Amino acid sequence: MAVKIGIMSMAHMHAYSYAGAINSIANAELVGIADHDAERAASSAEQFKTRAMGGYAELLAMDIDAVVIGSENSRHRELCEMAASAGKHILCEKPLATTIADGEAMVACCREKGVHLMTAFPCRFSPAMTRLKACVDDGSAGAVLAIRGTNRGRCPFGWFVDRDLSGGGAVIDHTVHVTDLMRWLLRDEVAEVHAEVSNRMFGREFDDTGFLSLGFSKGVFATLDASWSRPRSFPTWGDVTLSVVCERGTLTLDMFAQNLVVYSDRTGGVSWVPWGSNIDQLMLQAFVNSVERGEEPPVTGEDGLRATEVALAAYRSAETGVAVRLR
Amino acid sequence: MHAGCYARMPAATVVGVMDHDLEAARRLGGTVNAKAFESAAAMLDELRPDLVDVCVPTPWHAEYVCAAAAAKPRGIVVEKPMGRTIADCDRIIEACSAQGVPLFPAHVLRFFPEFVAAHAQVTAGAIGDVVCVRTRRGGPFPRAWCNWYGKPELSGGVILDLIIHDFDWLRWTFGDVDRVFARALTARQPPPDEVTKDYALVTLRFVSGVIGHVEGTWADPAGFKVTFEVAGTDGLLEYNCNQPTSPAYVAALERAEGAGPGVAVPESPTAENPYYLELAHFVECLTTGAKPAITPQDGREAVRIALAAIESSATGSPVSLR
Repeated sequence: MAVKIGIMSMAHMHAYSYAGAINSIANAELVGIADHDAERAASSAEQFKTRAMGGYAELLAMDIDAVVIGSENSRHRELCEMAASAGKHILCEKPLATTIADGEAMVACCREKGVHLMTAFPCRFSPAMTRLKACVDDGSAGAVLAIRGTNRGRCPFGWFVDRDLSGGGAVIDHTVHVTDLMRWLLRDEVAEVHAEVSNRMFGREFDDTGFLSLGFSKGVFATLDASWSRPRSFPTWGDVTLSVVCERGTLTLDMFAQNLVVYSDRTGGVSWVPWGSNIDQLMLQAFVNSVERGEEPPVTGEDGLRATEVALAAYRSAETGVAVRLR
Repeated sequence: MHAGCYARMPAATVVGVMDHDLEAARRLGGTVNAKAFESAAAMLDELRPDLVDVCVPTPWHAEYVCAAAAAKPRGIVVEKPMGRTIADCDRIIEACSAQGVPLFPAHVLRFFPEFVAAHAQVTAGAIGDVVCVRTRRGGPFPRAWCNWYGKPELSGGVILDLIIHDFDWLRWTFGDVDRVFARALTARQPPPDEVTKDYALVTLRFVSGVIGHVEGTWADPAGFKVTFEVAGTDGLLEYNCNQPTSPAYVAALERAEGAGPGVAVPESPTAENPYYLELAHFVECLTTGAKPAITPQDGREAVRIALAAIESSATGSPVSLR
């Protein structure tokens, strides 16, 4: 029996990728899409050959096992609590929440209602990343000493630059993926955060550039570039890279460096056409399998909360000019 | 490297080479037809050179530059970093200025064509107003006399010895630094007596509002690599390490003696090597009386940025340079 899934809001562009992934997974079925924008529910339901629901309550009343939450960041909590109360397992888009209070409430609510909460961190499912982690786990590279990470991209604009909906700008958008990879790799928590944050790329209210320095509790240090520093003319959306300095050498990862370079006189530009594995699909498959087997998902709500905590600490550090201690 | 460059310059002749290890002085002297000395005083007395180039390990820069200045040559080149401390830099600047001797801190990046081109693009506004900049430099751990690179109190580690290159280029291109935050392996407790690897990540905010990130590694056995990017309001400029940078051909040859010790010195695939351009520039300035492109103050400021980063890595707090 296929795992039946509904999508709550297509506000985040990743929801489109997740919908496509669900449709390609053998043991999953996309039962319906609900959205506070009825028109978007209708058009996306048509695109993914599923039902447009009249509202979230209608979707949750259906015979479904799980939901994917793809709303604006600040609406995650409300939708999460609705779904948990209806007994549905949840895959929630990142960042998990825009405040610690919201994130903690989501984790607590899901625990209380007995449903699993997974944070959408597809980078953990990248074959390049799992290969890198294996090199660290089997000890062949020696202990990790330091990590240099980037998650740079183009500015997505729209609600992503509306603080009330997104919780911030580039820093909250791009800190969480790579922070999660570092936590996962090191099996350790960030103890201290320093950040230089700027809004000079667009000169508007939202932050567009952030260089974070992270100190982990067992002594590893790291930096992370969480910036919307790729121009419109950049050949792809952005990157995720890691350089992991170990006792016996440096392991490097350029997660999306599997692409053709296409020079097209039709589009008048250069673009990168990806041929690497679809990490969204790998993540959705893992979520579906965990629901089917009644197991804890491979990435938890706690993971999402810890990564969000780092992004929010970066804002505090930028405001105060000092390093912020988390634990 | 410097001796070979001078030897090829029509306007220069290498007349003497001094090293505490007379054999080392003889070996290098032999390659450029110069007399070998064990003592700087003896060399300066006997040869009265027009130019003195100081390439001793960093903590001895001040002693040798001051001795050279007393001999009143027409100019002095001091290898980067100018000094191990700001007091060293001040001593050096003071000694040269008291004797009226032009002093040239050898920040060779200003003569690497890719860095010159990037500086020109940025200052011409090719990518709009600059918002952020990232540089990466490094490779395997350098091996030299008495492993002095491995003694942070002597070399200053990867921050003072290596990424000072980037600090100088960044300051040249983006102006003065407001504050720095850094973490480094050598700052870890307890500090080892002698290190065999070093790694540093430095975040900078410039007075202009530009924010910067400098990565320096002496922990990457994969080879020496340099990359940088500058992002602005109208675009992005990348120097991509995947390009065949140095040299333009690729050679993979097993060396008869196997992997030996040494210090990585990047080559350049261009017609004239940047070290030659750097030193020839100073020689030309001495001939024509023109002002050198790098001032003693530039050398001191680069040291100041590096020392602030070292301080930050030790204290865990940002350090202001204002």
